[in-house]
Amino acid sequence: MSVDPASERYARQRVLPGFGPAAQAKLARARILVIGAGGLGSAVIPALAAAGVGTIGIIDDDRVEESNLARQLIHGAADVGSAKVASAAATVAGLDPATVVEQHDSRLSPANALELFDRYDLVIDGSDNFPTRYLANDAAVLIGIPLVWGAVAQYGGQAGVSWASVGPTYRDLFPVPPAPDSVESCEVGGVLPTVCAVIGAILATEAIKIVTGVGTPLVGRVITFDALSGGFRELACERDPTALPITGLVDYEALCGLAPLAESITAAELASRLGDAPVLLDVRESWEAEIAQLPGALLIPLASLGGAIDQLDPHAAVVVYCHHGIRSRSALALLRARGFDHAQHLDGGIDAWAREIDPTMARY
Amino acid sequence: MLVRYFAAAAEAAGVEEETLSADTVGALRTQLVERYGDTMSRVLRAGSFLVDGVVSRDDARALGARVDVLPPFAGG
Repeated sequence: MSVDPASERYARQRVLPGFGPAAQAKLARARILVIGAGGLGSAVIPALAAAGVGTIGIIDDDRVEESNLARQLIHGAADVGSAKVASAAATVAGLDPATVVEQHDSRLSPANALELFDRYDLVIDGSDNFPTRYLANDAAVLIGIPLVWGAVAQYGGQAGVSWASVGPTYRDLFPVPPAPDSVESCEVGGVLPTVCAVIGAILATEAIKIVTGVGTPLVGRVITFDALSGGFRELACERDPTALPITGLVDYEALCGLAPLAESITAAELASRLGDAPVLLDVRESWEAEIAQLPGALLIPLASLGGAIDQLDPHAAVVVYCHHGIRSRSALALLRARGFDHAQHLDGGIDAWAREIDPTMARY
Repeated sequence: MLVRYFAAAAEAAGVEEETLSADTVGALRTQLVERYGDTMSRVLRAGSFLVDGVVSRDDARALGARVDVLPPFAGG
């Protein structure tokens, strides 16, 4: 079974001025890859399926967590613990069994990105981290397909189209990734659920426009949305004449300052060293510690660490951790600067511990 | 020159746009930190300056009619 562009389902689109059966047929033939079945993916994927996109690829290696449900409406309470790609595919099957969903239950990486992108006409980036955003941009440039990107934080969102053959790319807007601790993630800064729906709808709209040729895509323009004022603003972005050409993929963790540090310890190494009773320092927020914590850990949120550091013994074997190993890098730098010569940080954070050491631990 | 602030940059400045005078990107950066303190300084560490629509990598870059200050978002 495949999507039938002549179906009654699409009657309200076919009558649109400038759309018609030809545009609907293009959607039915289209192959679109969505990176991330999270907040943005939850808005994008059902919108594409319901509009009649024939094939949707979804790449995400996460499992559904309870803290996802307020904004990731493609997943329901019964899906907690399931692979996000499987949960998303089941939702699409319920909307339209004719939609082909290609599930990629893995993380986008330099090893798989080019081969994967080459199988699609267009990619939508709804990922939640900078290494993936820069990787997606570069891979789309190298394969020569458009990338529709969106991002959210707190009450705001951004969206644009990165398309090297016709205009600027994400790197023309943000040439250099931000330092790891300079931009808050949603888990620290929060996000208003409906902002994901607003930006997700824009991403799906841009994808439909590019596939069908209807309208003018957001090439060279970035849309920003502020839920607090209710306003949209637009800014222009041209090609950066000083940018170096993108000729291949690189190590994006290193590009974003997230390569493993010499002072890193893996979850497996920490598990084997627990008998030595290292001081476990948890720099997450208290609500995160309530979900899951390493036994005996001392909780000092990163923002409070500078003022509380004198409570700690600088000669102790401190292992600092957070959720994914990003905030703990900042904490480690602070500890080292204050003379904690033996301090280490847990690479991958408590999430790595839950995945590799203790599968019964709650993840979020 | 019109300076437009987006997202956290607008929060730090308390306005969405204003008219300022500066010759270079670096001079504008210094002026913004002086006016709006640490909050703006943090935003500018990660944010882009777009001078008449072209991103600046160089603090010596001369300014034109408009500068947009935009921080990147990670979340999805």
